[in-house]
Amino acid sequence: MLASRVTIIVGHFGSGKTEIALNLAVDLAHRGARVALVDLDVVKPYFRSRSARAFMAELGVRVVAPQGENIHADLPIIVPEIRTLLRDGQARVLMDVGGDDTGARVVGSLADMMPLAETEHLLVLNFRRPFTDTVEAAVVMAREIEAAARLPLTGLVSNTHLMEETTPAIVLEGYRLAQGVGWALGVPVVAVAVDEGVHPQVQGQLDCPLVVLKRYLAPPFAAQPRLRRTGPLFVLN
Amino acid sequence: MAKKLMKGSEAIGEAAIQAGCRLFFGYPITPQNEIPEYMSHRLPQVGGTFVQAESEVAASNMLYGAAGSGARVFTSSSSPGISLMMEAISYMAGAELPAVIVNIMRAGPGLGGILPSQGDYFQATKGGGHGDYRLLVLAPWSVQEAADLVQDAFDLADFYRNPVMVLGDGLIGQMMEPVEFRTERVPCKPLPPKPWASTGWRGDRAKAIINSLFLDPEVLEQHNRNLKAKYDAMVRDEVRFATYGTERPYDVLVVAYGTVARVVSTAVDNLREEGVRVGLLRPITLFPFPYEAVRAAARRAKAVLVIELSCGQMAEDVQLAVAGSRPVHFHGRQGGMLVSPEETAEKVKEILKQTGKEARRG
Repeated sequence: MLASRVTIIVGHFGSGKTEIALNLAVDLAHRGARVALVDLDVVKPYFRSRSARAFMAELGVRVVAPQGENIHADLPIIVPEIRTLLRDGQARVLMDVGGDDTGARVVGSLADMMPLAETEHLLVLNFRRPFTDTVEAAVVMAREIEAAARLPLTGLVSNTHLMEETTPAIVLEGYRLAQGVGWALGVPVVAVAVDEGVHPQVQGQLDCPLVVLKRYLAPPFAAQPRLRRTGPLFVLN
Repeated sequence: MAKKLMKGSEAIGEAAIQAGCRLFFGYPITPQNEIPEYMSHRLPQVGGTFVQAESEVAASNMLYGAAGSGARVFTSSSSPGISLMMEAISYMAGAELPAVIVNIMRAGPGLGGILPSQGDYFQATKGGGHGDYRLLVLAPWSVQEAADLVQDAFDLADFYRNPVMVLGDGLIGQMMEPVEFRTERVPCKPLPPKPWASTGWRGDRAKAIINSLFLDPEVLEQHNRNLKAKYDAMVRDEVRFATYGTERPYDVLVVAYGTVARVVSTAVDNLREEGVRVGLLRPITLFPFPYEAVRAAARRAKAVLVIELSCGQMAEDVQLAVAGSRPVHFHGRQGGMLVSPEETAEKVKEILKQTGKEARRG
């Protein structure tokens, strides 16, 4: 994972795409990459990666999203700059896509520009979400996303969790189910995402690379938020 | 059922289904689109019917019609959409029909914005529609509580034959938390039979006619008095509130509801660590408002602070409750701006400084 120039993160609504995208962006920035994090989320109105724009700018990550007051809009605005980024052979591009096939349709609209050889298309899976709680349901959802994105998946990211109530057993069970989806789709599980709190308890128990997640998009009442300022939904842009 | 990670909107939808609701009528509006989305997906799976109406006016009148059949019915919207539903809500209250209405509030007035707000407190608790009527209004502070209160709302609506509103700000609709649905849930009220339901007349009983028109003034006055007696029973029996940090002595009592109360609870933890004596009272029912509880809790404090995502609406009920016995301060954010625990702590400290000076002067 993360070996390609373009990383597209798709998945079911609420599967954890945005948190993973923010964490990967931070990770890439620390490794010295010139990262553009493209917020393609036209599905959810709050808790989008654009909310972290100021914070990301401090790390040198450029968040590509609507400008001005439109940053708060629930309109399906696709910033034209995305096409320039895809054409620019140097830019490291990370795309945070909206949920389900509805959100993935935006990726489909960019199909003519997609540098296929340099693109990884990752599906995030959380089996504790209501409509993807079985392998069968997750496979159906994956197929729908692939069709809408007009792009085959190249990897799965297992992200089964229950936020603060996540136990190692939940993570391990999620990984097992993700492998089932991988087998059905013929796509490998390339990483298991785990919250930093649970990480020490599952370390060494999985034959798969781990992505240790910090939670950035906490609600305003979180005791130890990373991004809290008084403002609209945790961040002033 | 295993715990799931759900958005508030999804939990609200599932709660309605768990409560036996099989009919949803609605029209999309941010930030609660996931409720109709969820219902449109789930209702066909359980033999129910989802109707996306052409407007909120239509949706709410479909709700009115379907409620007349005695079925458990449900709609959801956000502030501007709820305004459009007010006529039908008044009719349902007048015709004494049970229904559950969820308002996931966004910033207003007018179209406003799509970020969280609590600006519809007056609309929800003091009428909104025309005539002398009341809605029972429940205000959750977590996704789990939203799920629980929606289920209770159906029981309360059936018991009182009255529309019940669940009032959450945008965060309640959009944030994600683990949720559990109890498989063997006991209704929170005894569920009376529904002889009033209009289900087709076969000559074996009096006709069940659903109506809110009473042309005879004496009859209409009596109808209003009957309704009032019902609202009085709600005031007597349905008050719900919770406290946080008030088991220890406190100088400042903060009153807040919904996710704002959640922010305040974080502030209470932080302030207590610094040795600042503060407690929280959180109304869960906004109508009936916990006047007695606020009055009693305020007496144990030097001052009261009300925090809302509005220009001060519940603050008026707190003032009524406190009745001048303690100074009532207000702090509000509007437009979709949120209150932080730090901002809350600052306000509490400011009030303490002020109160100290007043005491020295006194």
